[in-house]
Amino acid sequence: MMPEISRAEAEDLLYREAALLDEGGWDDWLALFTEDAVFWMPAWRDEESPTADPNCELSLIYYEGRRGLEDRVFRARSGQSVASHPRPRCVHCISNVRLIECSAGNAEIGSAFTIFLHDVRAERTHHFFGRYHHTLRHEEGTWRIARKKILLLNDTIPTVVDFYSI
Amino acid sequence: MTIDPADLIDDRPEDGVFRVDRAIFRDARIFELEMRHIFEGGWVFLGLESQAPRHHDFFATQAGRVPIVVMRDGDGRLAAFVNSCPHKGAQVVQTRSGNARLHVCPYHSWSFDSAGKNRAVKWQRAGCYAEAFERSGHGLARLPRFEAYRGFLFGSLVEDVPPLAEHLGEAARFLDFVVGQPEEGLELVPGAVTFTYDANWKLQLENCSDAYHFTSTHPSYIRIMERRQKGEGAVAVRSVWDQSQAWREDAEGVQGGSYSFEHGHVLNWGRIGVGETHPLHECAAAITARHGEAGRDWIFNMRNLTIFPNLQIAENASSQLRVIQPLGVGRTLMRTWCIAPRGESSSARRQRIRQYEDFFNPSGMATPDDTVAYEGCQRGHAGRIDPWLQGYSRGMTASRTGGNSLSDAVGASPLRSVLADAQLCDETLYHNYYREWARRLASAKPVRK
Repeated sequence: MMPEISRAEAEDLLYREAALLDEGGWDDWLALFTEDAVFWMPAWRDEESPTADPNCELSLIYYEGRRGLEDRVFRARSGQSVASHPRPRCVHCISNVRLIECSAGNAEIGSAFTIFLHDVRAERTHHFFGRYHHTLRHEEGTWRIARKKILLLNDTIPTVVDFYSI
Repeated sequence: MTIDPADLIDDRPEDGVFRVDRAIFRDARIFELEMRHIFEGGWVFLGLESQAPRHHDFFATQAGRVPIVVMRDGDGRLAAFVNSCPHKGAQVVQTRSGNARLHVCPYHSWSFDSAGKNRAVKWQRAGCYAEAFERSGHGLARLPRFEAYRGFLFGSLVEDVPPLAEHLGEAARFLDFVVGQPEEGLELVPGAVTFTYDANWKLQLENCSDAYHFTSTHPSYIRIMERRQKGEGAVAVRSVWDQSQAWREDAEGVQGGSYSFEHGHVLNWGRIGVGETHPLHECAAAITARHGEAGRDWIFNMRNLTIFPNLQIAENASSQLRVIQPLGVGRTLMRTWCIAPRGESSSARRQRIRQYEDFFNPSGMATPDDTVAYEGCQRGHAGRIDPWLQGYSRGMTASRTGGNSLSDAVGASPLRSVLADAQLCDETLYHNYYREWARRLASAKPVRK
């Protein structure tokens, strides 16, 4: 019998994900995702509407399958990307968590995020904010992320945004 | 203290010397001259016709620091105006694009039609205006020069510029390859990406034409491509470079080169070949029918084209149109779009978009390594002990006057050309930028401070 998620459990998962991103625990972060996970940060069509169809519209990031995220982690650790080192210091703050829909073994979780970053090389601090939508699936006895949609509201990007800073 | 732009470019071909003083990237007086004499004193790219396809469509853009609105009127004619009310200067159009027959200024309700003509001055009769006011025009200020080349819209804030065809010159031949793939016209994939970097606009100008940096700045991207070729990583995102040798250090023979055109336009290119990872593979036959075999090969090549000063079209890992918008001497805004041929199949479009996101986005795996490098250059440009930069020297003995067999094959006549093996990585093409830069700034009087 598949369980239904509680809000406290959903919050625990989101906070754990945030901590893993902030602290560089990226193998454990990858393990939060299902093999076929979709990771999606839409771009904006105009002032009011984000892009909705990744097959015919541009996204900031779109991967079908965890392997796309593994590429990103590989790059960030490669020592061959000047943008990735030294890594900015980040804090993901997550709030307004709500269960949008849940059934046995599945859940749709909405939340708001604010990410504070300090680019140590440029001595420059800025922030990103927006909304997350996580689709969770109960798999092998645990809740995993089957889909994560990141709606970035301040999308004039100061130089760089990467998986660990959004 | 005066500054003369002519002192900052050391151009002595007879001695084999071309050097640029770091001051051009950091001096606010130079930036002011660039705005006045280049971005606000000559042709700049404003947008694409396809951004305003219907009557009364409009889009907002920029010429240097000046907000511009391009509008299509009720007769279908396009024109460009300063987006500023003649009354108090408020911006009239508030959104980046839209459709409106009438634009009402939000400040005091003066209104304008889609031809920029004033339709009403609020309470004009009761306004006790003098006759001089009644006699003068109250429309939006129209850009004195506005022309299109195959869907690319250009404008100038000053009257005294050559016709657009003359400004584009032979570089237009390479814009032709952007629009005919194989049908006429191209479209912007929905979704614009905007980013800033804290460095001078000319770092972006140069980087687009920089073959030398690829294996140094983007090794992590190259490693990812190798992972994907081996079936690791995101296999859905195959790269067009899978089939190219152009970026491999051990490739032999001519792998690319550069062309310099009049008025500062530049093309650098690399061989790619007609392979299946290229989104255009499905229409290779139609492209050959339209452009011939030589034209087809050019279209499949990696091509980075700069139309000086603010338009860059990069067709390499995918296809990008980028507009450089300088915000200050040490700060630049980039507006970027994925461009694609009309009528492309949904699978080719999807492939193009995925390749684009991975390479070109500020959230991707290549562009951030460029922009972070620009910021490092900007900090380094504070140095004054040895101000002359040495990055304009590769290819000095390979550059020749006129074109070569590859440009002849498509009837293009550049000013200068270089044919290069994989490791030559010409830097003489930047000379073309700075000769035009110096020519434009030469009309400026030294600024006294």
